[in-house]
Amino acid sequence: MLSIKNLQAQVEDKQILKGLNLEIKAGEVHAIMGPNGSGKSTLSQVLAGNEAFEVTGGSVRYQDQDLLEMSTEDRAREGLFLAFQYPVEIPGVSNLQFLKTAINNIRQHRGEGEINAAEFMKLAKEKIKQVNLNPSFLKRGVNEGFSGGEKKRNEIMQMLMLEPKLAILDETDSGLDIDALRVVADGVNALRSPERAVIMVTHYQRLLDYIVPDYVHVLSQGRIIKSGGKELALELEEKGYGWLGIDEQAEA
Amino acid sequence: MTNMREVLPQAAAEPDLPPALQDFAKQRFEGLTGIARPSRKTEAWKYSAKRLNKLEGLQLAGNAGEENAPADLLLGNVQSHQLVLSNGHLPSSLPQIEGVSIKAFSALSEAEAQQVAKGLIATRDDLPFAEINHAGLGEGLYIEVAKNTQVELPIHLLLVHQGEGMSLPRIFVHLQTGSSVSLIESVCAVSASSEQSLCNQVSDFLIEDNAALTYYRVNDDHDQLPQVAATGAQLKRDARFFSHVLSLGCPLGRHDLQVQLLGSGAECDLNGVCVAQDRQHFDHHTCIEHIASHCNSNENYRCIADDKAQIVFNGRIHIHPDAQKTLGEMSNKNLLLSSEAEIDSKPELEIYADDVKCAHGTTIGQLNEKEVYYLKTRGIRKEQARQMLTLGFVLEIVRAAPIAELAERWEQRLSELLSFED
Repeated sequence: MLSIKNLQAQVEDKQILKGLNLEIKAGEVHAIMGPNGSGKSTLSQVLAGNEAFEVTGGSVRYQDQDLLEMSTEDRAREGLFLAFQYPVEIPGVSNLQFLKTAINNIRQHRGEGEINAAEFMKLAKEKIKQVNLNPSFLKRGVNEGFSGGEKKRNEIMQMLMLEPKLAILDETDSGLDIDALRVVADGVNALRSPERAVIMVTHYQRLLDYIVPDYVHVLSQGRIIKSGGKELALELEEKGYGWLGIDEQAEA
Repeated sequence: MTNMREVLPQAAAEPDLPPALQDFAKQRFEGLTGIARPSRKTEAWKYSAKRLNKLEGLQLAGNAGEENAPADLLLGNVQSHQLVLSNGHLPSSLPQIEGVSIKAFSALSEAEAQQVAKGLIATRDDLPFAEINHAGLGEGLYIEVAKNTQVELPIHLLLVHQGEGMSLPRIFVHLQTGSSVSLIESVCAVSASSEQSLCNQVSDFLIEDNAALTYYRVNDDHDQLPQVAATGAQLKRDARFFSHVLSLGCPLGRHDLQVQLLGSGAECDLNGVCVAQDRQHFDHHTCIEHIASHCNSNENYRCIADDKAQIVFNGRIHIHPDAQKTLGEMSNKNLLLSSEAEIDSKPELEIYADDVKCAHGTTIGQLNEKEVYYLKTRGIRKEQARQMLTLGFVLEIVRAAPIAELAERWEQRLSELLSFED
């Protein structure tokens, strides 16, 4: 589904990704761990198409297409979804209007007609319940005045509405209490299927107790320096990044 | 130095006016030679003077009848009592509304005429174009809402400017104690010209104890009408004034909105949305005077300038020494959509009382690219994302309009106007 080869990227002339390789097949859940400054968020943003990050080398194939040649919105329409670490607040644009516009853009891309209003409301109400947010949030501005946990849950809600093929969660677990973490995990687990893949970028091993990954990768200084199964996360938790020879101070 | 007499060389003789108003017009006409024409050096007019002074030698526009009034006035499905003022002239028949007296100035009693002459804008001497309206006073519309009368349907004043020349619409509304009404003023034009037409309007409102006026001023200029308007509201004890101004494009527009909070417990909300495109120019000056104690004022203006347009916002709150326990808030947020557009914002606070809460803030910015990106990551086209965000910038203010059908129609119009699609 996703094939990243020797990916290099920079932001404001600072080289962040320095030759990253990663292969992801449909049905798999990958966790990417690493200390602050190792390039985790850069990877997420580059995959989603953030123009603030400049790709300086390497290639990314997504469902047999050149991902780097695709516009941000086309990536989303082709089923790529990024749950933001810091979702923006957009006062004046309601969650409902935002979700409906997004769904209709994706449907149009697939050659389908606009979603029926009643069907849409039913879906939105069902999904907002699933992430344990009050339905009144649907009428509020996108993330406007939401707490950190509410914003993360709103990201998961969007993911459930848009049903992506490849979901990238950028530190969605950071700063969450255990109840919110469960909501996030349940959302991701509900989406797991043989056709879909998930990339979880995380700083903490805790999330992996709730979403069991197929693979764990350790990112350091813009490269994946170790890959393994879920037991790698436990080992990291126990021994810390120093065990792999990573100097956390130097990364940040 | 040039003076305002040049703009109105001859008095408009209106023999039917009651003596108090005849004297008023005569005095103001004589005073015109003493009032300097605004120039770029006149602080309150520096952004608009040059364009206004290009309108030279305009004759007073005659009554062109009511027939040609345009249909779409951004009213949507709003039911109303409508009055058409053609070039400021009154219609041949005036509507009958229970508890409301609607008259021409010529039909006023001497006491009523004196009231008109004491209106807020009528007594100002620092508004040179309002001065022209005073000096050229002819027909005017007088509306009085009787004590404790709640007028259900809004009264809609359609101000139509037809052809070339200057029109001088004049309105006075008196709300007696405990009454309430919604008033919609919409300005539109038929065959006007950006070089040879000017609508120069004055509206004065007197809101007695515990009465409430909800005021809408809509301006969607499809026909290139330059306009200057001054609106004044005087609020007595516990009176309320809620103003919703929608200014959509105009080759040259200036609106002065002045409020005096004269009685304690009075309250005003001033909401404004302005969108200017191409080479349009809109200048909003507002002034809220807190004269009595325990009054609240809340002001919120949002402006969007695109292309080579210019928008000016000058908001002033003046707190007089006796206005203790005042709560005053002013916010002006502006969005620039092009590198050649210009927005000039100047919030002013003048405070002479010591126990008050007052805040003012202004921002000028561009569309937030992080927000555009966020919408794009959800599959939304760039142009659509920009439209949603631009519209979202003003929507909160539009939706504050209590008549929902009106707010919906405004929203629809704004979304057409702010479309980025080719």
